[in-house]
This record gives sequence, C-alpha cells and structure tokens, in this order.
Amino acid sequence: MTGRKPFRSLALAAVAGVGLAVWVFPVIWGLLTSFKTERDVLAYPPVWFFKPTLDNYREVIFGASSIMPNLWSSLVVSTSATFFTMLFAIPAAYALARLKYPAKRASGFYVLATQMLPPVGLIIPYYLALQKVGGLDTYSGLTLIYLTFSLPFAIWLMVSYFEDIPFEMEEAALLDRAGRLRTLWYVILPQVRGGIAVTTIFVFLNAWNEFMFAVVLGGNRVRPVTVAMFNFISVEQTQWAKVAAGAMLAMLPVILIGLFAQRHIVKGLTVGAVKGGGRR
Amino acid sequence: MGSGTKPARSLAAQERRFALALFVPALLVLLLTTTVPLVYLGWTSLQKLDMSMPWLSGFAGLGNYAKMGGDPRFWNSLVLTGVYTGTTVVLQVIIGLSLALLVLQIPKGQGLLRVAAILPIVLAPVVVGLFWRTLVLAPDFGLVDLVTRTVGLGSHNWLGDPQLALISVIAIHTWQWTPFAFLVLLATLATLPPDVYEAARLDRAGAWQRFWHITLPLIRPAIVMVVILRMMTALSAFAAIFAATGGGPGSATEILNLYAYRTSFTELNLGYGASLAMVLLSITMAISYLMFRLRRARS
Repeated sequence: MTGRKPFRSLALAAVAGVGLAVWVFPVIWGLLTSFKTERDVLAYPPVWFFKPTLDNYREVIFGASSIMPNLWSSLVVSTSATFFTMLFAIPAAYALARLKYPAKRASGFYVLATQMLPPVGLIIPYYLALQKVGGLDTYSGLTLIYLTFSLPFAIWLMVSYFEDIPFEMEEAALLDRAGRLRTLWYVILPQVRGGIAVTTIFVFLNAWNEFMFAVVLGGNRVRPVTVAMFNFISVEQTQWAKVAAGAMLAMLPVILIGLFAQRHIVKGLTVGAVKGGGRR
Repeated sequence: MGSGTKPARSLAAQERRFALALFVPALLVLLLTTTVPLVYLGWTSLQKLDMSMPWLSGFAGLGNYAKMGGDPRFWNSLVLTGVYTGTTVVLQVIIGLSLALLVLQIPKGQGLLRVAAILPIVLAPVVVGLFWRTLVLAPDFGLVDLVTRTVGLGSHNWLGDPQLALISVIAIHTWQWTPFAFLVLLATLATLPPDVYEAARLDRAGAWQRFWHITLPLIRPAIVMVVILRMMTALSAFAAIFAATGGGPGSATEILNLYAYRTSFTELNLGYGASLAMVLLSITMAISYLMFRLRRARS
C-alpha cells in the first residue's frame, strides 16, 4: 500500500497537469506567436525557438492598424459603466441586505431576473431607440446598455459582502444617534471596502470583455477593442502574428485583473445563484 | 427603546424611508434599462419591420410567430440550441468535477492549478473564438491539426465542415467555461467535513461508493447551481461562435441566439429577429424558473 502511494500521486498529478495544460497552452502559444514573424508562424513543423521580433507589437501600437484608439474606447466605456454601476449598486445592495422595506423579497427577485435576460433581447430595442435619438456610436449609449448586465450583478455581489458585517457595529452607531446616512458612510462602507474593490474589478472586467452590444451600438468613433480584434481577423485574414499581438495587448488588463482577484473569483462567478430566489 | 410602540413604529418608518431612498434609484435604472426595452421588444416582435424593405413596415399581429412554424432555419436553430447547451453543460460538469476530485488528492500545487483555471475565464469570448479559429483549429497550421497529422489522422477543416464545426464550437465553449465548474466544485469539495469520510472508510466503503452515496449528495446544491449558471451562459453564447464560425458554415452552428442576431443585424429584419429573441427570452425564463423551483423543493 505505502509503496504504491507515490506512484498513485504522481499519476494523479500527471492527469491534472495535462488537463490544466490544455487551458494554459493556447494562451502561451498565442504569446509566442505574437513575437514571431509571419513566416515563422506558418512554419511546419512549428518552431519553438525563433528570433523574437517586436514588429507585431510595433504595428498594433503605432502602425496603420493601431488598436490604441480602441483600447481608449474600451477604457472610457468600461470606466463610466463601472462608475454608474457602483453608484447605484452600493446603496441598493445595502438596503437589500440590511433594511426592512415593503416588497423587499420581490424586488430582490426582480434584480435577479434582470440578470438572466439574454442580451440579444435587449440589443434590438436599444438599437431602434438609440437610432431614433442619434445615440448610436456614442459612449453614453453603450454605457447605458452595459448597466443592464452589470447593475444586477453588482447589486447581488455587494449584498453578499454587506451580509458579512456583524449587526452590532451599526446598532452601536445608531444608538449613538448617528444618522442612518452617517452610519452607512462612516461605519458600514469602510467595512466593505474589500467587497467594493472586488465588485468594481468584476464589473470592469465584464464591461471590457463585452462584444455583442459593442459591435452593434458602436461605430467608427466608439469601437471597443473586442470589436477591433474581430475586424482585425476579417481584414487581415492570415496575419496571425499581428492578431496575436493585438489579442495579448487587449487581454493584458483582464489577465492581470484575474490574477490579482483570483481568490475572489469563485464568489464573483456564482453571485446571486447561491441565495437567489430562496431569500427570506 | 421599547418604552412604547410609538417610537418603535416611527423608527421602523424611518428605516423604511431610508431603505427606499437607497433602493429606488437602482430600481428605476433597472426598470428603464431592462424592463422598458423588453416591452418595446415585445411590441417590435408584433411588427413587420424589415430595414431592407422599409416600405412594407406595419403592424403584423402574431404574423412573425406564425412564420416560425414553417421556418426550417428556426427549428434547426432550436435543435442546435438544445444540443449546444446540453452537451457543453454536461461536459463542463463531468470534466470539472473529475478534475476537482483529482486535484483534491494532490497535496501540493493546488494554488498553481487554480491560477491556470482562471486564465480562460477572464478572456473575452470573442478573443477566445479568434484564437481557436486561427492558432488552434486552422487547417494545416493549427495546433489540433498538428496533433492529428502527427498521429496519422490527417488534416481536417475543423470549422469548414458542418459537423466538425458544431463539435468545434462545443469544444471552444467547454474549454473556456469548464474552469468555472472546476473552481466552484473544488471550493465546495474543500468545505466538506472530513469526518463523514472517516466513518465511511471505517465501514469499508469503496471509493466509488463513497463518492456516490456521500460526496455527490453533499455537493448536489453546488452542481445544480453550476448547471443553472452554465445553461444561462450557453443559451446566450454569442461572441466565441460568432468569431469562430459566424454561425456557419451555412447555419451549422447557428444556435437560436445567433439566428436572432443575424436576422436582426445581418438581414436587417428586426421584426422577425425580435420575435426570435422573444422565444429565446421565454426559454431562458422558463428554464431558470424551473431550476429555482427544483432547487427550493430540494433544500
């Protein structure tokens, strides 16, 4: 029994290693490709050792097909969507987590239901409405529709953080006759700083990665980087190295964010579902 | 406090006012940004609204819905939606759970594996679709073709052949989202009390029996949750398929979500597209309702 154990754990590690390499390898391969010349990309058998070049990055940063304007678009849309989301989500989540008010359960369920809406059902009315008021290809139009998926998500994630604070703290503050608003601002919010940071990060990440809304409601002026990547491949069909360099640049922020927030990712992904619908 | 009912009641009223002041702004935003547009979607689905033939626009009643009955592309998309959602969710849960069970037995390096699993999740689906279309699945130069050619299975047009294309988009989705099932189930398994296993081991229960009778019932709520969330994502999967195949070749990978999109924004028939979106909306709502009912009945 003891003699077989190291072998067993080695085999286990090997299987898990293969499984996980499948997740990492395509990304590593993309990273390598981004430093290749287009000739090295199409070499067969593929080359592992090659003279790395920065030409692809130079091209997607400074060249004719620069994605810098698109990174800027993504930054503006994602930041403004995140700002407005948090502005409305934090107070709403506090009420939902801590206070008594009429139809509270129904309203919580309503927030959850809006999170389930298929985006294609929203994009059609938004397109028609924004077209009428000249809101296509504007930052405000995109920001508005981004609220549809980020606000319900942020409310529910913040609820879970507000519920973690002990009741005693706000009771003590309230007994001291600090007003409710002051209690929220000076006592409660400092307690959920971490939760606010994590929620902000996830809202930003989801906005950054969004594609369908951006491709329909964006245009020549407002074109987030996800749309630019898509156009890249249609225009420059075979220039994989450039596509890879662009993709690496576009995904660098979210990869860094993911690594930074890795311990919170499970909570962020399952938000709402844990308690959803079954709340008392 | 507690000296009479009047201050208590006014305190409750004060709390209610405060709560509404905090909650109502977000509620109004949600109503305006989601519910009002959905009403407009429903109204649009009753219109004949074809941007390529704008002169024919007008009220159509249930005409768009009646049209679906005789639309083979609609039925095809419905079947594909079922196949795509069913296969990807089952694969994600089985692979994710197996990996989580395996990884749990490894004493060291779990942290590293967790980091690896996060990578696909944070990538934009459109970038994932592009990566697979070029570096992974392209004939001759893609990674998969390199493997199949090396082992003697030859080169295949992974995204150009209708059947292979469907398998490919299922593989892409499974690749990106299995880490989700893996991470959630790993976190759940790690919280299980070790003493139940000890008791079972003393009872000489085999590994399979232990899994079937102890582990599985304990993690069932987590599995149901993963299934619900994964179904929602699969039903409205878009960017990765759109980038990899565009719904093609022909309509081989055109799930209902893509059909509604293409009808609305490629063929510019927004009236019919809206009715297709309404069908998808009903399916999504019905499934989430059923799943939540099922879960509440269990717990």
